[in-house]
Amino acid sequence: MPMYQVKPVCGGDIKIDLPSCMYKLPNVHAQQGNSCTSEHALQNGEVDPAVKALEARQDEIMRKLYELKAAVEGLAKTVTTPDADLDLTVISSLSSPTFSSTTLKGTTDLDTLLGKDHGALRDIVINANPAQPPLTLLVLHSLLCQRYRVLSTVHVHSSVASVPPQLLSCLGPRHADSYARQLFQLGFTLIWKDVPKLQMKFSIQNMCPIEGEANVARFLFKLLAPYPGDAALATSVDSWVDTAFFQLVEGSAKEQAAVLRALNSALGRSPWLVGPEFSLADVACYCCLLRSGSASVAPANVQRWLKSCENVGHFGSAKALLQ
Amino acid sequence: MTKEEAQGATEEEQQAQSKKGQKKQQKEAEKAAKKAEKQAKLAAEQQSTEEDDFAKDRYGMPAMVQSQQKLDRALVRVQDLTPERADQLIWLRARVHTSRAKGKQCFLVLRQQQFNVQALVAVGDRASKQMVKFAANITKESIVDVEAAVRKVEQKIESCSQQDVELHIERIFVVSQAEARLPLQLDDAVRPEAVGEEEGRATVNQDTKLDNRVIDLRTTTSQAIFRLQSGVCQLFRDTLTTKGFVEIQTPKIISAASEGGANVFTVSYFKTSAYLAQSPQLYKQMCICADFEKVFCVGPVFRAEDSNTHRHLTEFVGLDIEMAFNYHYHEVIDSITDTMVQIFKGLRDNFQTEIQTVNKQFPSEPFKFLEPTLRLEFTEGVAMLREAGVEMGDEEDLSTPNEKLLGRLVKEKYDTDFYVLDKYPLAVRPFYTMPDPSDPKYSNSYDMFMRGEEILSGAQRVHDAQLLTERATHHQIDLEKIKAYIDSFRYGAPPHGGGGIGLERVCMLYLGLHNVRQTSMFPRDPKRLTP
Repeated sequence: MPMYQVKPVCGGDIKIDLPSCMYKLPNVHAQQGNSCTSEHALQNGEVDPAVKALEARQDEIMRKLYELKAAVEGLAKTVTTPDADLDLTVISSLSSPTFSSTTLKGTTDLDTLLGKDHGALRDIVINANPAQPPLTLLVLHSLLCQRYRVLSTVHVHSSVASVPPQLLSCLGPRHADSYARQLFQLGFTLIWKDVPKLQMKFSIQNMCPIEGEANVARFLFKLLAPYPGDAALATSVDSWVDTAFFQLVEGSAKEQAAVLRALNSALGRSPWLVGPEFSLADVACYCCLLRSGSASVAPANVQRWLKSCENVGHFGSAKALLQ
Repeated sequence: MTKEEAQGATEEEQQAQSKKGQKKQQKEAEKAAKKAEKQAKLAAEQQSTEEDDFAKDRYGMPAMVQSQQKLDRALVRVQDLTPERADQLIWLRARVHTSRAKGKQCFLVLRQQQFNVQALVAVGDRASKQMVKFAANITKESIVDVEAAVRKVEQKIESCSQQDVELHIERIFVVSQAEARLPLQLDDAVRPEAVGEEEGRATVNQDTKLDNRVIDLRTTTSQAIFRLQSGVCQLFRDTLTTKGFVEIQTPKIISAASEGGANVFTVSYFKTSAYLAQSPQLYKQMCICADFEKVFCVGPVFRAEDSNTHRHLTEFVGLDIEMAFNYHYHEVIDSITDTMVQIFKGLRDNFQTEIQTVNKQFPSEPFKFLEPTLRLEFTEGVAMLREAGVEMGDEEDLSTPNEKLLGRLVKEKYDTDFYVLDKYPLAVRPFYTMPDPSDPKYSNSYDMFMRGEEILSGAQRVHDAQLLTERATHHQIDLEKIKAYIDSFRYGAPPHGGGGIGLERVCMLYLGLHNVRQTSMFPRDPKRLTP
């Protein structure tokens, strides 16, 4: 038996984890879990540029592979069976971005749509007769200005003696930076000239002049948003544009009345003329209706639709010109 | 051959000779007889004419006009001969353009500047046969005083400018007779260089026209061209004066070459030599520094360039503009282009007759322009040329064929014959050009083109003496020679710019002609000093 008993200083049942390894180093092969860009830190903490380049190459190759795969699939569809299984649901999901979407990159779109920029301002030249001002083009110009940096100029050709002042200011006030042409992405030059039919010139080397307000309107609209991918919708838009220009403007009173009835019934089914979105058809029909002068006698649906068009904005310049 | 035969032969010869001789004699006799007959006839005629001339005092060649008497006679202008004056008896003075006798009548075409009228002398109670003969023999281009009755015609006279009337001459006097042989025919001088059926007919080449300028200037085409040129000058002055510009006159005898030493004429000036001004550049700028703010001058410019091209002269009329601006040199461009547009509009609206007259001999497209004037940048021009397949550097100046091509491209796209190319590269401009503020490769300079040919070169000028000295040194110009020029900017100078056009070149390009000598009255080039 011990002589003196002392109470234990510490609890007797502390578990001590004795390490098996004397010196520890961080694991060189360990995976970094959360970040997707893998930055392999060296001992001094910097990122190895060679490794970065390697990764970039790998990403590039993977992307090309995916593109190739998509292309091959597309080709396979055309080669395997004549009536390849076109999945309508797939196509409709690929339809055009909506009008109000602002997530559009300006310059790259223009490069793909209009060809590579050679250093010259991409100038769209429109020759119009002052007796028939192109209202649709003014509306589209307003829309273009919202989307791109547009340099707008109005000229009077020597074949015309003079034009009323509102035609000179129809594209709005002169831009403050208009002395520096290279700051702009797109040029919109309107020339009042004694021409029998409205004419547009863009690229002299690659394009012949385009005639007719409807055709020029289609061209300008494609700079804003591609046509609906659905063939039926796209044709519907085209059909309304043609109706507007041929029957509303140039047609007899009977034809105009027929168009108004057709408009009324179409607008009974949907808020806009073609589907749920505002499109070129609405711009064209509005302007032609205004020009034909039958806006006041339009049926109820049409009147409602006219108001909604005006709410979209951009129609102010067209209305002002008709005053 | 025997003697007899030989004799026979000679005999035959003699007989033949005598036969020949007889024939000859006969012929001569006949000739003499005819001549005698003719002479007798003439004598008889003359006698008869002298006897019958009752109109002797209604035609003839009076004494030279030495201001012997002051006649209060009102002479009517040919352009005023209209059907309203039918049956009036009028006097007029004009040139005989052509005269053609036809039996008892003589048709004359009387010409005054661009207008001509048909006139008729017919044997009757007012005119005798001798008078008609006299009229037919008046040499072309003679100046005549004519008293005639104005008569309406049923059928329009297509070949004259006054198509509804003709003159029936009662009195005709030659005031100044022209020599019979003219160095060139006016009708040939006006004939267009036609291709096709007209190929055989004569035209006059340019050197002959220029050597006999006095006669060539009488043609309707020349009259129209120089009236239009006068109009250009007039519109230039009027437009600028309305804008508040002051007209100045600058010296043409100067001490130092303004644009560079190579192309300058030297004149002996008392004990030293001086130069003829290549441009009023220096003096225009000095006027701006002297607070005139906006100036223009119209005067001769002398360039000793040995260029024998269709568009170079050694002496021409320069219309120069210089103005101070507030903040941006585009104010100057706007002012100059507006002036040019006003000139074009004035020509289009008021000189259509002249333009049509010139077009008859030299057909061309009418001149088109835009208001406000189209302004493209140099980089845009280069891009357009590159798109069309031309290879050129970014800072390279445009060669003449490239300028013409660019003019055609611009015409195709914008349908204008007049445009401005802005922001030229600094390296190809003179030392007094202001560099671009944001890009040192370019400058605040511009060129203006008509029908693809350059008519004006201008820029914002360097108005700071120090920068000017730097730029001059960079261009390796002797500072001593331009000391007076640099000094003018040392005492406060406003920012300014301007440019100059050549009157002859502008007229040539407006009318679509092909040689500047057609628009210069007495042109000067390396090969021509007279008339």
